[in-house]
Amino acid sequence: MAVHKNRSAAEYQPGDPGWPAAAGWAWAAYEPSTQRPWNLARRGGLVQAGHLYRRAAFGAAWDELQQALSDGPQRTIDRLLSPQADVAAFNREHDGYETSAAGSVDELRAWWLRRMIQTPHPLLEKMTLFWHSHFATNAANVNDVRLVQRHVRLLRGQALGSFRTLLQGISRDPAMLLWLGADANRKARPNENYARSLMDAFSLGPGNYTQKDVSEAARACTGWFVLRGRLRYIDREHDGGVKTILGQKGSFTCDDVVRIVLEQPAAAQTLVRKLYRFLISETGEPQAELIAPLAESFAKDYDILKLIETMLRSNLFFSEAVYRRRIKCPVEFALGIVRGLEGMVPTTQLAQDLASLGQNLYHLPTVNGWTGGLNWINSATYAGRHNLALALLQGSGPYGGKLNPLLIARKHGASTPESAARFLLDLFLQGDLDAGVYDAVLKTAPAIPARGPGGLATAQAPADSAGNNSEDRLRRFTHTVATLPEFNLA
Amino acid sequence: MFHTRRDFLKGALGTSTLLSFAPAAPSLLVRSAPVPSEVEGTAAPRRDDRNTVLVVVQLSGGNDGLNTVVPYADDEYARNRPTLRLPTEELHKIDSLIGFHPRMGAFLQLYKDGFLSIVQGVGCPNQDRSHEVAMRLWHTADPDHPNRQTGWLGRTVDGIRNPNRTYAPAVFVGPIAQPFALNAKDVIVPSIRLPGDLVAAQVPGQPDDRSQSKRIAELPRANRDNPLLDFVRQCATDAYTNSRRIEAAAQTMANTAEYPPYGLAGHLRTVAQLIRADIGIRIFFVELGGGGIGGFDNHANQMGNHCALLHQLSESVAAFVHDLRRDKALDRVLLMTFSEFGRTLSENGRRGTDHGAAAPVFLAGGKLKTGLVGSHPSLTDLDSGALKFKIDFRRVYATVLDGWLGFESRSVLDGQFEALDILSV
Repeated sequence: MAVHKNRSAAEYQPGDPGWPAAAGWAWAAYEPSTQRPWNLARRGGLVQAGHLYRRAAFGAAWDELQQALSDGPQRTIDRLLSPQADVAAFNREHDGYETSAAGSVDELRAWWLRRMIQTPHPLLEKMTLFWHSHFATNAANVNDVRLVQRHVRLLRGQALGSFRTLLQGISRDPAMLLWLGADANRKARPNENYARSLMDAFSLGPGNYTQKDVSEAARACTGWFVLRGRLRYIDREHDGGVKTILGQKGSFTCDDVVRIVLEQPAAAQTLVRKLYRFLISETGEPQAELIAPLAESFAKDYDILKLIETMLRSNLFFSEAVYRRRIKCPVEFALGIVRGLEGMVPTTQLAQDLASLGQNLYHLPTVNGWTGGLNWINSATYAGRHNLALALLQGSGPYGGKLNPLLIARKHGASTPESAARFLLDLFLQGDLDAGVYDAVLKTAPAIPARGPGGLATAQAPADSAGNNSEDRLRRFTHTVATLPEFNLA
Repeated sequence: MFHTRRDFLKGALGTSTLLSFAPAAPSLLVRSAPVPSEVEGTAAPRRDDRNTVLVVVQLSGGNDGLNTVVPYADDEYARNRPTLRLPTEELHKIDSLIGFHPRMGAFLQLYKDGFLSIVQGVGCPNQDRSHEVAMRLWHTADPDHPNRQTGWLGRTVDGIRNPNRTYAPAVFVGPIAQPFALNAKDVIVPSIRLPGDLVAAQVPGQPDDRSQSKRIAELPRANRDNPLLDFVRQCATDAYTNSRRIEAAAQTMANTAEYPPYGLAGHLRTVAQLIRADIGIRIFFVELGGGGIGGFDNHANQMGNHCALLHQLSESVAAFVHDLRRDKALDRVLLMTFSEFGRTLSENGRRGTDHGAAAPVFLAGGKLKTGLVGSHPSLTDLDSGALKFKIDFRRVYATVLDGWLGFESRSVLDGQFEALDILSV
């Protein structure tokens, strides 16, 4: 199917025969207009706002949704891409906490989750998490907390920066080399572990290189060692001879390998596909025509922010076809609850609970990262998510009642039991459920005794037959919302 | 190559198209735990059609096989074990050559009843007798690639992955970190201690929210052609159904089953409950000796500790077998032990033994054909003081994968290893 680059975006409609191969339409910036009413603009745009915050952040608090409603999608995206707050100062402060507290990787996990919850720039942390899975390492094999901390700092530093700089940094990252068992690259015994991962998992993808390319690239990378936790270059161990890598011939070094790899069209294409899956949709493989324009543009400068900006602003991003077409990873599931309820929970416990749901931060299962998607969910992990949500929302226990749906509902003006229930459905799902499902969920809402005409009952309100006050009953209702299948989708 | 219509569609049309074939009503989707009687007769057999279960028992630290299955008739045994020699008259004799350790009477009974097999002289090539390297070999089953990032059981569960399957195919039961054998690229393998860890919990004293959550998940959705929603709804339904089945299985067993008060026995009890709950788990992994208490790694004063561990092993496995026998569940269960290596023939002067090589593997279950497999390794033809292996450990793996679980071993083990003819299936 041909790409009609010369047709303007407005000429494409979702029903067009070429859709969604009509890349021109798909990637054009979405502008709501009366001529083109969008399905996703349900409920006055609230659904769009929730969708955007699930993808480009870890879910939204009520004020963020309201702000997005009044600003519209494009201005909200401006803010998500580059917030006005002093992000650098926030991250410097957290780097300091990490350094002074990090005696173990368990502590690093806890600090990172705290950062994800509190950051003024959630997209940056979201993308750091993406790169964490892309440049998958396992701290157990690195066995050096300081190096592991530096590795993630490297990811954060370029998470929205240059993929070229990132790949260069990763190629000299002691944590990466140790994890892959590539910490000794001798002239006499070139180590292929890094060269293979570089081409296979980090850039080109399977089928876009040969074993010969790997062997030759390994020769180019000889001379690099990790000795006592430090990267060292030993010139006499470098093979200065001529190598042939991906069709190019020369006495290449490791830097040349990164350059040559990034000159392959497959590098940009593979990465655009992976980001498509992360930000847009997990169902089906996008057609080559859809990927091509973004990949061509990305290959020019490897500017990650620009690529993500195009994706987030696009018609396709805000179309029904990609809505709820991702399965939340455990971090997104839990943080959606925590950020929605504007609280902070003990993150050491949370890190452990997320690990048992299959997402152990700093411990990727293989160099392929978390493959995710359908793999996140089975009947066992669904029960696990049910239990984590229950623990987060309970008034006592490991999370110690740090989240309180009743207080949040009241803070945002829900004055009756029914309005509190509707508020929570709006907060977490923008009320976007099939009518029958919505009503069924609403029917489970507690008959919270109203405290006169002005406000909700307090925690001191009379208990029901099971001994629950209204705060407990709204906790249970919130748990019902969090265990909806729809809440597991992003 | 295609085993089912679904597999065919997947190959021909791609995953997304396949998923969009899934009916909208969850009750019509594939059941969580397929049992043979419910598989339609016309369909080609699926790779995961069987309901056989494998239970792997890891003996951490390197078990002294020579003091487990004792070659008492060989003079070399007594000569090399001045302090650790087990008295011939106390052994539970298997035949005129070998006998079980004195504390393993329960194993002899299982053996006589046909519920236990001994595979003699099992080991792996390229092991350098460090715990880490040897255990890594048993876990990855890839002696040529020590950096392999997946375990043999992890590759197995990745290989039987099916986009419509909603259940966890494997579970680790135990208090230590999940053994690397279960490390998978795609599939999440839960680590649990009790059956309740797989149950969607309810708050004590509160009405049961689960039936409500299940009912809401099952409510029809207007068809927006979202395969992910259909899949997640089916997982939700199955999660709540399985929770009840697990609780029911725990209750029916609580009154009757008798297990000794050992950690391993407790974990095998959990396994038995989950087998009875019949929620689709095909592979269980349990462990004895790890977690920092030394386990089977007895370089000094081996006797007392080793006696205790072998007693726990034998009593725990016997209790498990007897429990499953009562309702014929044993016929679909095969238990297999392994340890990273055996130990040296000679004592080391500290009433202990050092890291060795070959050791016996035990199999327990209701469908065993042969009691004794292979012959005892020679006590004179040694490799640096340890017994040489005669049976490559991957032959045991191939046996349980191909012969028992019905999963293709060739792709897991990167080659075809000859299965042992020990199963009557």
